[in-house]
Amino acid sequence: MKIAELINKDLITLSLKSTNKKDVIRELAEYLKIADKINDFDAYVKAIEEREAQGSTGVGYGVAIPHAKTESVKTPALVFGKTDTPINYESSDNDDADLFFMIAAPKGGENLHLQTLAKLSRKLIHEEFRDALRDAKTKEDILTILNKIDGKEES
Amino acid sequence: MKIVATTSCPTGIAHTYMAAENLEKAAKKLGVEIKVETQGSIGTENALTKKDIKNADAVIVAADARVEMARFDGKPLKEVSVSKAIKNAETYIQEAIDGSFENYKAK
Repeated sequence: MKIAELINKDLITLSLKSTNKKDVIRELAEYLKIADKINDFDAYVKAIEEREAQGSTGVGYGVAIPHAKTESVKTPALVFGKTDTPINYESSDNDDADLFFMIAAPKGGENLHLQTLAKLSRKLIHEEFRDALRDAKTKEDILTILNKIDGKEES
Repeated sequence: MKIVATTSCPTGIAHTYMAAENLEKAAKKLGVEIKVETQGSIGTENALTKKDIKNADAVIVAADARVEMARFDGKPLKEVSVSKAIKNAETYIQEAIDGSFENYKAK
């Protein structure tokens, strides 16, 4: 599955408004609702928060990847959001997060999206990739950066 | 110097792979060979064989979900959380190089 099948301009925001963890989860999930990727907003948010309760998905490096694999997801999707004012996401390294990838994965069924998400996760370890996302000025820029994930294996 | 590692996390869609990538990146930087098995929701990829484990000088287990440990009996081993591996992979690889892991005794 290509990354473009998971994310598009309607699932990207370059200026998140939230200032705390609770709000940013809802703000990101709102994009999934508008794009009709989830059928139950509250259930999806609850699944995200349950995963956070097992350990923050703020993984350090200013990155947070709230994710849930749940029945409330209709089609697999990815939301990207960033902010100039980093948010306290209770991250493992106590650093605030400014780059967010919210992952919506349906329960059961096709697993093709998981390979793509695995590749994205691997990319996030690399500073050049994170810097490119931070420097991006438009939604198009974000998509161009993300599209590079397809088919390219990191050595 | 050869290291083998295994990574896993509760949902198995993100942390597992970030930890694997960071271990590989750190090993490359420090000039040691590494093979990282990922146990995610895709299933197990790059699975460690008996031979891999036998030939390894050190083992790193970065897992928040259960992984099979008996196969590492007698190997110098370090167990860390997956989020620690995402952050501190280089420290653990260096410790492996320095020989500071304790031998694992299967329960």
